[in-house]
Amino acid sequence: MPRPTPGEQDQNPVVQRKRRTPWKSWLLFLLFAGPNVALLVIFTYKPLVQSLQYSLLQWNIGSATARFIGLDNYVNWFTDPATANVVRVTVIFTLVTVVGGMVLGLSLALLLNRKLRGTGMARTVVVAPYVLSGVAVGLLWLFVFDPNFGVLGAVLKSVGLGSPDWYNDPAWALPMIIVVYLWKNVGYVALIYLAALQAVPKDLIEAATLDGAGPFANFRNVVLPLLGPTTFFLSVTTLLSSLQSFDIIQAMTKGGPLEGTTTMMYQIYQEGFATGRAGYSSAIATVLFFVLLVVTAVQMLFIQKKVHY
Amino acid sequence: MTASPFANLNRRQLLQLAALVGGSAALAACGGPAVGQAGGAATETATDWASVTPAKEITWWSNHPGTSKDIESEIIKRFTAESGIKVNLVTAGANYDEVAQKFQAASGSSNVPDLVIASDVWWFRYMINGQILPLDQLAKHLEFDTEDFNSTLYGDYEFSASHWAVPYARSTPLFYYNKAVWEKAGLPDRAPKTWAEFDEWAPKIQATTEITPLGLGKGTSWSAWWFCNMLWGAGGAYSKDWAMTLDTPEALEAAKYLQTIIYDNKSAAVTAKDQVADFGAGLTGCTIASTGSLSGILASSKFDVGTGFLPEGAKGPACPTGGTGLAIPADKTPEQQLAAGMFLKFLTNAENTAYFSSNTGYMPVRTSALEGETMKAVYAKTPQFRTAVDQLAGTRVQDWGRVFVPNGDKDLTTALEKIMLQKGDPAEAFATAATSITKSYEENVLPYL
Repeated sequence: MPRPTPGEQDQNPVVQRKRRTPWKSWLLFLLFAGPNVALLVIFTYKPLVQSLQYSLLQWNIGSATARFIGLDNYVNWFTDPATANVVRVTVIFTLVTVVGGMVLGLSLALLLNRKLRGTGMARTVVVAPYVLSGVAVGLLWLFVFDPNFGVLGAVLKSVGLGSPDWYNDPAWALPMIIVVYLWKNVGYVALIYLAALQAVPKDLIEAATLDGAGPFANFRNVVLPLLGPTTFFLSVTTLLSSLQSFDIIQAMTKGGPLEGTTTMMYQIYQEGFATGRAGYSSAIATVLFFVLLVVTAVQMLFIQKKVHY
Repeated sequence: MTASPFANLNRRQLLQLAALVGGSAALAACGGPAVGQAGGAATETATDWASVTPAKEITWWSNHPGTSKDIESEIIKRFTAESGIKVNLVTAGANYDEVAQKFQAASGSSNVPDLVIASDVWWFRYMINGQILPLDQLAKHLEFDTEDFNSTLYGDYEFSASHWAVPYARSTPLFYYNKAVWEKAGLPDRAPKTWAEFDEWAPKIQATTEITPLGLGKGTSWSAWWFCNMLWGAGGAYSKDWAMTLDTPEALEAAKYLQTIIYDNKSAAVTAKDQVADFGAGLTGCTIASTGSLSGILASSKFDVGTGFLPEGAKGPACPTGGTGLAIPADKTPEQQLAAGMFLKFLTNAENTAYFSSNTGYMPVRTSALEGETMKAVYAKTPQFRTAVDQLAGTRVQDWGRVFVPNGDKDLTTALEKIMLQKGDPAEAFATAATSITKSYEENVLPYL
């Protein structure tokens, strides 16, 4: 009898039964993966589905009852005059913190990658703010920016300048929040870039140098492309982190003045817990979820093409 | 490029994904509000309180207003010694809003306390959500002397012929001035009687010092509270019952006056962070702050501080009440509610009211406590406190549009910040706030009434 070809073998019912996963493997899988899956379902997927459900309700948080209102919450958010400002603040905050954070983080990583005295200490100093609590960082910087009693005001005064009205002028409050956010998080970007820089093969740089490439050309044509996967990873993680930023805003401005620092994430909190409109808040959360989903998908589809080498 | 993770799903994987989503949806269906059912305030159940045995242990959520944790603990100690009921005091937030947010989020779970802080802008929401118990029957059973409460302060918690909380740490805005600045400017040692008089005095302060005469506070739960003074004093109001009245000439006049003293006369400035800290540091000559800040201001100021009634407007004196009361959650057992009621009665009796007020600076909420020995000693030691207590007689209940509609205070604060910080058009700012508050009333209050 001739031996069956691989295609024919797949169609043999006896062989197919033999290939089925034994129950012991399933048990093992459940034992190891079960608790994690259960946690994911309870704390991630359940709230996600529940949030979608709540977004269709008119529900005062705390009330045991609610009314089904279909898509009214979404219509209300998209037609609310305040929404344009919230979206504007969110876009500015996200763009500046993501792009600024990546540029600053890479610059710091390049500095820290040099073999100079004190780089060990400098690395610790750069990364330290990242592990601090956002609320503590916010409260600390409140003192720094205080126009009457703050260090920054005193420094500006010493050179004959007045302090900007950081807390009362929305045009200054947002830059203040961005500076503090960058100060706290740039260490994370620097740390990841530093690890990636140390993995760049030296022989490639040496070969390029032999071919006549200077430091800038080396960086632009050799190092930067090799950092592609790291840049992609950081662009995704910092974008998600930036869009979900809450603690510094809560500690420093509570979304003010005049909602000048109210991002979508902060609006979700305010509407859900301060105003108590849980349905409306869930609708904004759902919009933000889909924005994040689309942005991440776009990043994966278009950017990933260019970062693999 | 990576292909879509969903592109190559086989039948089994698709079923697994569907099971995950379906399972999550099924889980999501557990808990949450009942959709389509009638809601609203709790009703007085015919509980036979005489047949109920009080619980042996209850929990109280507080933010310890006026740094009162030690005071509250001491009162609890006395209550436990007298009744044998243990009271667990929980720090449920740093301020009224944080306690309220936690209380609302805990609703429907087993973590709801037996007694909770219910501030002037939150108790009504608790009520329409059916979260708190009407107290009249329980108070009657416990022979709770509610007649002795200051009528305005107790009346604040009345709606639909029931009382939903009792006054606890109550306050009013108060006028504070720096006596040294006043003396330097040649002003009499008192607060200005009217805003017109303040306008006469402010140039004298500006001529003799380099400081801003008046420091104004900002932010939610604050700006729209003290602005009641200017608004009501001009004959306006935020609302009449549920109808917003921000478009009246009186309301617009009050807003324009605010802009005049900030932008034209430059006799007032909005604080960057905290008007009380600015005043204490000598950056401003006078300010409006809560009576609850009195002890802190007296302790931190390096100059003599004078206090006075809020200045009157063209239509007379006007001062709102504020602060917090205490409420009993509706979905606790009668045993727990009875024990909480007993503690509430003890906590707000004349002796403990005076003890709490004398140590924090909050108003004595009982008329019998006003002239008791404890408070007399406080007035003798701190005469400024007497001003705050005397002003209580002229207070009035706040407008519903601010305190009863979920985003009322927030929308009014935004409008006032536009007026104060950006010299925005008062008519436009108030119209935006009125539209938003009316919409919120129709969506978030009316269906629950």
